[in-house]
Amino acid sequence: MNVLLKSATIIDSKSDFHNQTVDILIEKGVISKISKRINNTNDYREIHLDNLHVSQGWFDSSVSFGEPGFEERETISNGLKTAALSGFTAVAMNANTNPVLDSYADISFVISKGQNNAVSLYPIGALTNGSKGENLAELFDMKNAGAVAFYDYQKPIKDPNLMKIALQYADNFGGLICSFPQESKITGLGVVNENYTSTSLGLKGNPNLAEELQIVRDLFLLEYTGGKLHIPTISTAKSVSLIREAKKKKLDVSCSVAIHNLFFSDSVLEGFDTRYKVTPPLRTQEDIDALIEGLKDGTIDMVTSDHNPIDIEHKKVEFDYAEYGTIGLESAFGALNTVLSTKKAIDILTKGKNRFGIASKPIALGVKAELTLFNPKTTYTFTKAQIHSTSKNAIFNNVELKGSVYGIIANKKVVLK
Amino acid sequence: MNELSVNHLLGIKYLNNEDIQLIFETADHFKEVINRPIKKVPSLRDITIANLFFENSTRTKLSFELAEKRLSADVINFSASQSSVKKGETLIDTVNNILSMKVDMVVMRHPNPGASVFLSNHVNASIINAGDGAHEHPTQALLDSYSIRERLGDVKGKKVVIVGDILHSRVALSNIFALKTQGAQVMVCGPKTLIPKYIDKLGVTVETNLRKALNWCDVANMLRVQNERMAVSYFPSAREYTQQYGVNMELLNSLDKEITIMHPGPINRGVEITSDVADSDQAIILDQVQNGVAIRMAVIYLLASKIKQ
Repeated sequence: MNVLLKSATIIDSKSDFHNQTVDILIEKGVISKISKRINNTNDYREIHLDNLHVSQGWFDSSVSFGEPGFEERETISNGLKTAALSGFTAVAMNANTNPVLDSYADISFVISKGQNNAVSLYPIGALTNGSKGENLAELFDMKNAGAVAFYDYQKPIKDPNLMKIALQYADNFGGLICSFPQESKITGLGVVNENYTSTSLGLKGNPNLAEELQIVRDLFLLEYTGGKLHIPTISTAKSVSLIREAKKKKLDVSCSVAIHNLFFSDSVLEGFDTRYKVTPPLRTQEDIDALIEGLKDGTIDMVTSDHNPIDIEHKKVEFDYAEYGTIGLESAFGALNTVLSTKKAIDILTKGKNRFGIASKPIALGVKAELTLFNPKTTYTFTKAQIHSTSKNAIFNNVELKGSVYGIIANKKVVLK
Repeated sequence: MNELSVNHLLGIKYLNNEDIQLIFETADHFKEVINRPIKKVPSLRDITIANLFFENSTRTKLSFELAEKRLSADVINFSASQSSVKKGETLIDTVNNILSMKVDMVVMRHPNPGASVFLSNHVNASIINAGDGAHEHPTQALLDSYSIRERLGDVKGKKVVIVGDILHSRVALSNIFALKTQGAQVMVCGPKTLIPKYIDKLGVTVETNLRKALNWCDVANMLRVQNERMAVSYFPSAREYTQQYGVNMELLNSLDKEITIMHPGPINRGVEITSDVADSDQAIILDQVQNGVAIRMAVIYLLASKIKQ
């Protein structure tokens, strides 16, 4: 694959070419020349795009694709296409399939389904067999098959001793343990943030306390066990300060936040619209402010779209019966670029790989091209026209966003809209 | 103004004070009608109403059905103890099937908060919420306020305490919205475990001591303890609850003034109020029931007049 990108502004704070508008020559999938003006002597494919910006390829640490078992929601093939058109060159796929990805064979299956794609697919293995929270799955075996972390997607590990053992055991081989931050007894039947909105709507509240109590527990365990802990999708102000303190103590902990938790407060729930039913729930503006502060000071390591396709039959029902989740890949950049500066948004979208053991290099000569192509200036209303996913449960539907994606160049392939 | 600002009655929070006063004035007329020898008017002969009860109900269902019949509407009833989803059919499909038989209005009780709002967004009929989970029970709050108005002349400026299980109560929530909209002062009283943590954000005060609450108020609305809605125990025993939050005659007589006692029913006699209180002149529990028919006639009549436009 040989391509010449014309007049591209490089956004990569770690690259010598940061903020420069240049031509980029890619030959056989490798960046071979970066210069103010490159003549297309070999008659390669030229790419001219309006206000073209280029960064390292983006990474999403939490996507769900439904295959195997929920192909009506999303397939790996279309999920990866969606990721590519949304600017992501690498995604970590959750184990919330049917069957749950909890064995060498399951991980191998997913990897084989994702081969020969522009987007690199990294499966996350279940932490416990069937994600039932009872017995550890074969973590070492799954790591050998290619699993980059271990997580019972959005299912809290209720048993503290099981979490203790998981952290200790995975430390033998540097495995990354993920723990969904929710104390399920405190959550009870709560479906939305406990606050004014839950009270006035009569919806059962899920208090901040449930998240923070679990995080405190896990940080205590981590301090005792050692090992590597990742806390996916935190949502409260106090969670940010708890993790900030833990990092000061040099605990090996990382965390992420879902982009929709940076954007919406629970006041959007007034109309009982199930597209806002997500977990962790949408919180308050104070929480949003603290989360953004946590991103800026590095307490929060990465963002995720927490892309979770749900078919309409499980969303267009009474609020209590609707499933949690939203798709988010397509709106990820536009949303993040709306709440943060473009430089910060790109910094955050390109972080996180190392934590999952995936290599990444700044844009430079001789480096494998793994690039995202985008225009940070366009403004538009996000609608179904922007959705590539099989399921259409988009929390950002009809929201004004800034910044759009052209596509990616990765794994010797070009994917453009 | 002689029409409502809304096309459905989904909750009190969607009404303004003018709507509430219009409903009361209309109910005054219907209350006079139902006390005549011939208790019926031909107003809604061309309207068909479906009562859909996805949750058990006796008095609300009877009250609605009676109100509909007093207005000469055609009435069909559908009861399902199981939710439609569990039976495999969605709520929208169930209701659309019924509506395709040319039904104009739906009265629905449902165990899920927001079910009536959801339905109103997806079907083409006027919806009356007869109770949706812990969200709202607007006609109950309207008849409660109407009964206060009847007893004390006005709701504005009155002090009303709602006692009991506020956490699981749609009656409490609708009453709070209704009373606040009309300019009453509202307090909630009960064990802390049964009071939502953020209830004060609705503009009410919280009191955990029943005697203090009763001394403050003009009206006490005693809620039923809804054991069936509790996933866990919020207090050790009914006996202990009654010790702290049960109203008896001795307590009432020891207060500085005579207060009015209300109860949305069904009463757990001896738990939230004793029999002598329930049957006393201070209690207006049966007035509430009678007013319920007049209020529901008013709501149905006013919404039906919007359909006809």
